Amino acid sequence: MTHELLNGISSTEAEQVLKLGTRIVIPAGTSLFRLGDPADRLFLVDRGRIKLTLPMSVRGREEDIFVEERAPGQAVGWSALIPPYRFTLTATAALYDAEVIALPREELLKYFAGNPAAGQKIALNLAVVVGHRLHLFQTMWLREVQRTVEAHSA
Amino acid sequence: MEMLLMGLCMALFGTAVAAAAFGAATRTESRDSAVQPKLPLAKAVTPTRFFSDNAARPAAILSRQVPIDDLLLQIENHVRMEQAAAESFLAFPTQAQLHSKTNSPFVN
Repeated sequence: MTHELLNGISSTEAEQVLKLGTRIVIPAGTSLFRLGDPADRLFLVDRGRIKLTLPMSVRGREEDIFVEERAPGQAVGWSALIPPYRFTLTATAALYDAEVIALPREELLKYFAGNPAAGQKIALNLAVVVGHRLHLFQTMWLREVQRTVEAHSA
Repeated sequence: MEMLLMGLCMALFGTAVAAAAFGAATRTESRDSAVQPKLPLAKAVTPTRFFSDNAARPAAILSRQVPIDDLLLQIENHVRMEQAAAESFLAFPTQAQLHSKTNSPFVN
């Protein structure tokens, strides 16, 4: 399994990072974390899919609305490395059980301090993940604004 | 002769009274119609189309009729389609890609 956050580091370094974590099985339909929870662990998806949702009012009821899905090899919960360390989405195992590797922030930061080269590569990989999310949602936002403008000027 | 003249006068008088009454009646009618407020024009009643009625309605109205689970699924599909469209734009950023249409019922 190749993890997007571990791209560019040696296999030895990747093993060292993975050893910092704990494997967690999330039964289907169960939440890994919820919006607003303290974020002290970053997760690497190893099996299954993790659905990210946000609450939205639909017909007067609060519903979890699909935002994004993360597949094996992808990371989830990078709020653990970015202040104010609170999850901004809810993560749930989608249709089937999922398995993730939970990496505690404190352990990761200690590792980065001792292995700055690997730490820098992992930080850059994280920037790619965050940047992609930013570009994706920036584009979706602009498309939505365009439609709103068209609807109001029609 | 006198009786005949009297009858003729009575007939003429009756005709004059009837004409005056008719004129008064018709004048009143026209004044009343001028005072009456204008009623809004009735909308033309279009015949109901049996199967095609829903096709003309906007998605927002339709969405009130679908069960909540189906609606949530529609929202999820909409988000997935929007993400796919956004991914296409990020791969090949052009203005046409940025505003490309999807098949989502929420935007059609």
